[in-house]
Amino acid sequence: MRGRAAVCVAFLTGGLLSGCGGAGTGGSAFVDHEPLPPDTMTTRMDELGRYGGRFVAGTTASPKTFNPIMANETSSNDVISLMFQSLTDIDYMTQEDIPVIAKSWEFSDGGRTVTYHLRRGARFSDGHPITSEDVKFCYDVVMDASDPSFHSSMRDALTMDVGGKQLPFTFSAPDSYTFVVTAPATDALILSHVANLRIMPKHVLEPAWKAGRFASSYNTATPPESLVTSGPWRLKEHVENQQTVLERNPYWFGVDAKGRRLPYLDQVVFRVAKDQDVAAQMFHAGELDGLDNVKAEDYKKYAAEQQEKGFVLHDTGPSFYTNFFWFNLNLVGKPEKGKKVGDPKVEAYKYAWFSNRDFRRAVSMAVDRDAIVRGPFYGYATKCWTIITSGNPRWYDSTITAPDLDPEGAKKLLDGLGLKDRNGDGVREDAAGHPVAFSLVYNGDNKLRQAIATLVQDDLAKVGIKLTPSGLDFNTLVTRTRHEYDYDACLLGLGSAVPNDPGMGPNFWKSSGLTHYWDIGQPHPQTRAEARIDSLFQACVGTTDLAARKAAYRQMSQTLNDECFIIWLPTIDIRIPVRSRFGNVHPSPMPHRILWNSAVLFDKRPGSKN
Amino acid sequence: MELGRPLRQAPGVEELRTYLLRRLLQTIPLLLGISALTFLLLQLAPGDFLATMADNPQVSPAALEAMRRRFGLDQPWWTQYLLYLENVFLHLDFGESFSRHLPVFTVLKTGLANTLLLASAAAVVTWALAIPLGVVAAVRQYGWPDRALSFLAFLSLSVPEVLSGLLLLWFAASTGWFPVGSMRGLDHDLFSPAGRLADTLRHLVLPALTVGLIPLAGRMRQMRSSLLDVLRLDYVTTARAKGVPESQVILRHALRNALNPMITLFGFTLGSLVSGSFVAETIFSWPGLGSLTLEALNTQDQYLVMGSVLMASVVLIAGNLVADVLLALADPRIRHG
Repeated sequence: MRGRAAVCVAFLTGGLLSGCGGAGTGGSAFVDHEPLPPDTMTTRMDELGRYGGRFVAGTTASPKTFNPIMANETSSNDVISLMFQSLTDIDYMTQEDIPVIAKSWEFSDGGRTVTYHLRRGARFSDGHPITSEDVKFCYDVVMDASDPSFHSSMRDALTMDVGGKQLPFTFSAPDSYTFVVTAPATDALILSHVANLRIMPKHVLEPAWKAGRFASSYNTATPPESLVTSGPWRLKEHVENQQTVLERNPYWFGVDAKGRRLPYLDQVVFRVAKDQDVAAQMFHAGELDGLDNVKAEDYKKYAAEQQEKGFVLHDTGPSFYTNFFWFNLNLVGKPEKGKKVGDPKVEAYKYAWFSNRDFRRAVSMAVDRDAIVRGPFYGYATKCWTIITSGNPRWYDSTITAPDLDPEGAKKLLDGLGLKDRNGDGVREDAAGHPVAFSLVYNGDNKLRQAIATLVQDDLAKVGIKLTPSGLDFNTLVTRTRHEYDYDACLLGLGSAVPNDPGMGPNFWKSSGLTHYWDIGQPHPQTRAEARIDSLFQACVGTTDLAARKAAYRQMSQTLNDECFIIWLPTIDIRIPVRSRFGNVHPSPMPHRILWNSAVLFDKRPGSKN
Repeated sequence: MELGRPLRQAPGVEELRTYLLRRLLQTIPLLLGISALTFLLLQLAPGDFLATMADNPQVSPAALEAMRRRFGLDQPWWTQYLLYLENVFLHLDFGESFSRHLPVFTVLKTGLANTLLLASAAAVVTWALAIPLGVVAAVRQYGWPDRALSFLAFLSLSVPEVLSGLLLLWFAASTGWFPVGSMRGLDHDLFSPAGRLADTLRHLVLPALTVGLIPLAGRMRQMRSSLLDVLRLDYVTTARAKGVPESQVILRHALRNALNPMITLFGFTLGSLVSGSFVAETIFSWPGLGSLTLEALNTQDQYLVMGSVLMASVVLIAGNLVADVLLALADPRIRHG
């Protein structure tokens, strides 16, 4: 009996092992059966590609919805951005506006009005023509405030505050191929705000909208054939928490330099790997074709094995993600126990330090940013002094500076404030004897921030300030820093908007903003500097003149830095490994880092593995 | 003791029905308690589903307020809970997932099926190994197979599931013999039905091993001692004295009776297998209820958490019920109690 069991096991294992090795999507090459539209879109690329193959990307979670208006997290947006397109887009290399569903546009009325000319013959993935009717439908849906079933944050971008009144953009479709948008006032980002919305088919979605079911349409249970898309890809299969497979949209209007229809690849697959380490294992096992999130500590290892393992480690430059900390300057808004409206949320003596510009400057001068680059970032980071990192060629301004490492200078500033070590314990005290000690909160699950907080703690100890890092759960952190204002200082990061334009962050810059972290939602600017930043921000978005916008951006950044409201920290340099058998690979710091140009990616040897 | 007597004696159907009914009625206050506690804990946790969105500079306060109203998060928690109970009891509506805009049951059903698949495979692993190994250890009591198996049993008892899972994952990645996580290959859909089955089995092996090895040591030791008890009984000696071959004595006469206590244990392990698979699911990216629950908890997708906690509880309670029923079938004293 024992013998029989052994044979049985061997048989099972053999059967299972032979199950591996892919049928692949190779075989017959793509043949274009559909006539090309009169207005094709020629996409720029390094080299002409060939048809066939697929790219398998990792994702930390399954998409939650395929509805571009309802999506609000990365795993959904990554997939949606390949399935649906907007009137215009941003060139990921230059950060400039480029035509997509609109083949051209012109401004009138001093930049308030844009007239878009749609591509003739453009079609949805079911063959239906894309006309201005569809475009208008999408904006009508977003602007429809009467539908209580959903509220989209996209509506905010298409509404402007003009003299204290919230006025919406207006939309009209004078003919099938013309679409006109008028903003209530001149807005530098009008194209981007309009492009925020991806175009969906009216003929499929209008009934759902009229029935008040728009929010749940195009959900993850929708059958692929009824999920009609406007981009280069359409849904082939979605298996919850496992994989989402996209296949070529056979009607798409993009072509290569030879006029052959794009995309080149047959499929793009998003496979779920919940954890960074599991994704790395899957990449090494050949189950993923690229990794968009590698730890800095592993860059060296990847660089060493790229030849042997058949991939290229692409240097994408500094991330658009910024790291920084700030002091809590929030004031009491509603009367509460022991405090009246207008009192600081932190203890009065701490507020006296935090609200002092010289104190904040001294802290900035105590931080050894080079040590942070060498330490937690393993040398792969760049010092950064604004919300726009040097990764962005259009907006980066090297003249913007802030106080960098100068421990002696920091000590002098602190001495000048009367903060001295009066009892010889190494920690300074104020005149009333309060030791200069406070805590720095951050989200504790982020190991990188934990390491940064520890280094900052050491740096501040050297100038006589006692800082205690305190890792919190993310939701607790948000509650305490954004609603209860119950903290001393906070270490956080900020991702990039698309486009990576300073005008995309009104909530950060404006004193009334919700992510004006250090003093949120001010009824009127608390300081002269913030009043100045408010008006400079308005100048930055209130004109279409790029030179004037850049000047305003430089001044508002410099004003912020002179005050040291934000203590800037280095930003990580991104490295992206992608299998070398793929062509036209150009990873970007913006999402999706690898697949943003999915239409021109191609497999040099389709059908073969590795 | 006569052969297989407790099983052959038909239990009173009436008695069993009352017993079952009583047990089912007991689950109602239990589930109510679980749901109330889960809801309360969710409310006590800081932040809500919109916390992450609130951190995005592109989202305005007005939009956040409107969304909070839309999800009913502006109501006090007891109002939310009573509304939830009303929907569950009167309309069998378990609410909608905030992130997916889909009914909770639609989101959870495939996850539940996948978890049950993993748990059943793990049960097969446990029992298919525990019974023969336990028998070997008993037959060769104090011989080298017994000592070796005892050593392995203690070793597997002391290695935590996370570690054994990670070791198996590393094994898969370095040999390439097994896939690194997930439940299906890329080309699953292109395979024939037999190919699909093989593909799923290939993905199932390592997670099932990870989950199945946890209770293995215990079950093996129990099988060993149960068989040893039986082997000491008079009728075994009689059988041997009559010249029945030793393999017949063990497999036909002793094993049958020794298996009786194991049947009841089987039901209890069902419950623990489901909870054990939650860890393995995360390690092997197995798309089950565990990963869904974790994701829902992290994003505070309130009704998805409620739904998955209730589902997992129902499975646990059902496992225990099966165990009790098996026990009642095997031992009349229980159902009279």
